Order: sequence, then structure tokens, then C-alpha cells
Amino acid sequence: MRHPVLGLVVMIAAASLLLLPLSAHHEITAKFDPAKTTRLQGIVTYVDWANPHVHVFMNVGTGNNTVNWAVELESVVDLQKANYRRDTLKPGDPITVEGILARDGSRQVWGNTVTAGGRRIFNVPEETVNRAPGGPTPRWPDNKPRLGPTTGSTGYWARPSMTILAESGTNIRANKNGLLANIADVDKVAPFQRWARDLFDLRQRNRLADDPQYLYCLPPGGPRQYQEAYGVQFVEDKDHQRIFVFVGGVNHNWRLIYLDGRQQVGQIRGDADNPLYYGRSVGKWEGDTLVVDTKGFNEKFWFSNGGLPHTDKLHLVERFTRTDANTLKYEVTIDDPGAYTRTWSSGWNLQWIGDQELPNFFCQDNRP
Amino acid sequence: MSRQSRRIRVRRHAPGLCILVIGVALSASGQTPQRGAGQGAPAAAAADGGGRGAPAAPAKPTPRKPDGKPALGTMPGEVALWLPAGGGGERFVNADTADPSPDKLRMSEVPMQPWARALLDDRIANQLEPHTRCKPSGGPRQFLTPYGVEILEMPELKQILIFDLGGPHTYRAIYMDGRQHPPDLQPSYYGHSVGRWEGDTLVIDTVGFNEKFWMDRQGTPHTDRLRMTEKLTRTDYNTIKYEVTIDDSGAYTRPWTSGFNLRWVANSELFEYVCQDNNYAPDLMVGTQEFVDRTSKIVP
Repeated sequence: MRHPVLGLVVMIAAASLLLLPLSAHHEITAKFDPAKTTRLQGIVTYVDWANPHVHVFMNVGTGNNTVNWAVELESVVDLQKANYRRDTLKPGDPITVEGILARDGSRQVWGNTVTAGGRRIFNVPEETVNRAPGGPTPRWPDNKPRLGPTTGSTGYWARPSMTILAESGTNIRANKNGLLANIADVDKVAPFQRWARDLFDLRQRNRLADDPQYLYCLPPGGPRQYQEAYGVQFVEDKDHQRIFVFVGGVNHNWRLIYLDGRQQVGQIRGDADNPLYYGRSVGKWEGDTLVVDTKGFNEKFWFSNGGLPHTDKLHLVERFTRTDANTLKYEVTIDDPGAYTRTWSSGWNLQWIGDQELPNFFCQDNRP
Repeated sequence: MSRQSRRIRVRRHAPGLCILVIGVALSASGQTPQRGAGQGAPAAAAADGGGRGAPAAPAKPTPRKPDGKPALGTMPGEVALWLPAGGGGERFVNADTADPSPDKLRMSEVPMQPWARALLDDRIANQLEPHTRCKPSGGPRQFLTPYGVEILEMPELKQILIFDLGGPHTYRAIYMDGRQHPPDLQPSYYGHSVGRWEGDTLVIDTVGFNEKFWMDRQGTPHTDRLRMTEKLTRTDYNTIKYEVTIDDSGAYTRPWTSGFNLRWVANSELFEYVCQDNNYAPDLMVGTQEFVDRTSKIVP
């Protein structure tokens, strides 16, 4: 590429026009090049109907010239929500695919459109996000807000109003994975120390391809848990004074927040020798807000969409307020003298997804 | 290092269990604690009189909830996990060399179809269990890891949640609200589980399994036709009798039943264990970045 920075900007602009991946498990442009479009016609040989991405394999060409392509699509979760099924396509079906090619030159394509029998299939419509306030905040008998569903109902929290961890007061545009719309915004995102700024910049220029959550299905500790495409569910275990936070994506993990007054040291197997992905979290209610203090993180994961760095000195104070039935306000203060020049804050709202179970997604589903 | 955890390590390193996975460190696999086994299993070992060989204290009677049903989880204020009674080496199906048992079949007594028998032989020979690649494990295998499980009854949610400590840091939900299995289930590791009480026994009916896990460490096969009926009975304070009926016309000639006991380990609680944390076979696990790669050996 003759002008890398300009090229990247153009590519990202192209990406945002060409594809709107809803909730892809990885940044599409990390693996596929939006500038290399293609059109394939052929016969389906196999449908690998599994998370994180459905793959349709197809033979293209005839006779000795036949080659097999892998067409990557959205997740089972998204495709099923759009009413597609594992037998929507069967081996032998003729299809036409328009998409973009893998950067590594392998015979893989991200399927922007798939057409079979004259009909477009596997298109996942963008969900409309209705941020209208709901009814009053549901409460427990002790008048504390309920962070999860009421008895007999289902629901979870998703669709964060901000998809990158950026300091409050900034106006940073990023896609759903936290990829900046404008790479020049890097310095505005947070009060980085120089090395952290450069690492963040590198991760962005690599289109988030090094994300441990994408590569190794490692858990999303810290604020990232509240930016996951498949949302979170709170399970308040009052009997034992603790709250579980389930994450719908990644490996369907759980985080524990203790409200039983314990200290952070030496609990849940975390100590200086065993830093954790979710850290050691202790919480308490301040009025209608759950305040959670967390230390003891390891450095093996990205604690935000977009790949902001952190160190094992990271100390988070998170505040969860269910301001109405449909809105969870998330505020976080980041204190990491290893990576930032000062303490800083961010926050966003999550939306209640009512009458639905937390998606049952496993990142490793289609891996051997 | 506690006696219990040492035993687990020894077991994991026993020749029969050690698998040479593309020449990487064996102990990287699945449920083996990397960062200090002594730190990993300790509460389990320390609590409640612990392992086999400890003098058996007379167990208290089964604790009951206000509704009279046995408590499978902990009562308010209690902290405990359930571990396989025989530790990490507990089995769902005994080896043929084992003494006959009224509760547990021996391998040759399981009514396998010939292909399933051949697959089991291959698995025993090659030992490439998906659990060691950090896959969730359904059915009996969830209860057969050295770290055990916590059973959390959430009447508020009308669910029972089972957290398995080993593996990829995940959980299984059992719906207790009387719902049916939905049609068109996406096959999954834990399947779709609905539970009900029959007297003092929790009966869990599960369908919708995928074929990507093993039901036990030995590799007892199943197909996506599997219907599993698990019965959990807390026979006294320290014991859950766990019985499973395997109904899988894809792999067996008739339904069969086997089981084992779970042991209450007081003052032991969930902690963060992430299988992927120190897995030295990430390529085998994820198939490298090109995750449509199908070149490495896959045992279904």
C-alpha cells in the first residue's frame, strides 16, 4: 500500500459502506479486505452451522478446474433470529455469493450477499435500537432495584450506546467492535501514556486482529463485558450476597461480584500470583446504584472494545444504575498508573432486551 | 500442596491419561491447573474430611428448603461445592477389570452399536478429548472434573444453574418453569434441560446435544439423537446420588443407566478458572486464525 494511513482510512470508510456486520465475533476487516470484492457462482458442498460464524462451502468451476471456497457468514444466533435455519441451504443447492476476499489469499470470502433460487438469503437486518425509557425500575421487596428479570419473565442487557471505551466528554466514532472511524482520533480516546497510546494505535491499525477474545476465546474482563454484542445478564443471588454477571458471547462466561463485605485480597483464588480476567470484585449499594470495586486483573485480555491497553495495576470502580425498566446506566472509572497518565471515566447505557433468553453462544463452537 | 490436589496431578499424569498432543506440555490440557495446583484445588481438599481414606463421619440428614424439597445447592450462609466422590478419577462407566457394582455399568455391559464400540476404542487409544481443548462438556462429564460444580437453585428465576469450575468458565441452566423443549434446537454442548421434582429426586430431561464433547473422560460416545435423563438425589448431607439414563438410538441398541456419587465439600467456593489461560496447544484448540482449517485431527 502506497500510503498506509490514507489507505486504512479509505478502507475503513469502504468497510462501513459495504458491510454492516451486526455482531460479528471478530472484526470482519481484520480477516477480509473490503477493497477486494468478488462474485462466486457454484454448488453448496457443506454447511457448517456453528458459532461464532456459519460457513457455507461451495464448489466453483467445473471438472478439473473445480475449487472449493469457504463463505463466512454471521453467527447462528443472528441467522436464527432472522429466521434462517441449518437446512436453509443444502449440499447440491446452486448459490451466488457476492463478498470480499480474505487478506491472506486463501479461498475464503465474507458473504455480503448470498442468493439461492433467485432469493436473497442469510441477510440479517440491522436491528432498530429503541432507546425510549421503559416503565419504573423493577424492585425487590427490600426496595433495591432489580438488575435482572422479574420472576416469570426473561430478558438481558445489550446494545451499548457506546462501542468503544472513550473518555467521557469526547465524541469518538467507532464501529461495533471499537474500530475507530478516524484513526486520527487515537490521542483523544483516553489519557494514554506514550507506550499505551502506541500499542492502542497498533491494535487499531491491525484492525483488532490480535484480539485475544477473537484468537483464543479468552474472557472479556472489565468494561468490555458491557459492550459485548450478545449482552449480559445479572443473576442476583440474595441468599449468598453475590451477583453473577453472565456474558452471552465469548464462552458464555460468568463474573462474580461479592456483596458480603469480604475484602479483595485472597478471595476467589485471586492474589498477586494469580491475577484474573474478571479481577476480584466487591460491591455495595449506594442508594439505587450498585458500586463495584475491582482489582487483581491479569494482562492477557483486552479490557475494552477497540483494544485499549491496561496493566495489572488496573483498578476499576463501576457503577450500575437501572434508571428505568429498559435502561441500565454503566459508569466506570479507570485508574491504571501503568498505562494512563491520570484517572479517567467513561460510561454508556445498555438496553433491556425483554422476553428473550441470553444468547447461547460459544466462541469455540466451530473449532476442532 | 494438598493431598487431594497431588492425587489429581498424579492421575492426570498417569500414562493412560497422558496424551501426546502435538508434543506440547501435557499438563497444559483442559482441567489441569497450571498456576499452582496447590492453589487450585485446595479448598476442595481441605474441607469436610476430604478424600478417600479419611474416616467417614456420620453424615447429617439431607437439608431441606422451606418448601420441603431437598436442597441441592447451599442453604443461605453456606458455601460448598460438589465434587465427584472418587475425585478427578471418578468414572461414569467402570473399566471391565472393576468389581461389579449395582450403580455403575462396566464398559462391556454398555449396549454399544459396533461403530460406537470402535470409536470408543479409538478414543481410548488416542485420548484427544475436547474437554482438554477447553470445550464445555455436557451430561455426566460436567460433574466429573476434579474441581467439581456448584449447584445454584434460583427459585426467583425458576432455574437451577450448574457452574462447572473446570473448563472454559461457563455454566448450564436447567429450566424449572414447566416449559417444553423448543422445536428446532441448535445442538449445543449442554443441550436444552428441563427439570422437575419426583418426590425427593430432581429429574432433568435434556435433548439438543451436539456431538462435540465426550460424556466422560474415557470417551463413551453419543450422537445428536441423545436424550439424557439425569436423576439427582441428595441422600444425606454429604452425598448426591447421580444417575443417568442414556437413550441414544444412534449409538446404542437400547437405553442404559449408570451413575456415580457426588461429595459435598463445605467451605469451598467458585473461583475463576479459565481453561484457555495456559493452554499450550492454542493451534490445536482454535485451528489457528483460519478457523475453517480442518487439517488437524478431529475426534468428533
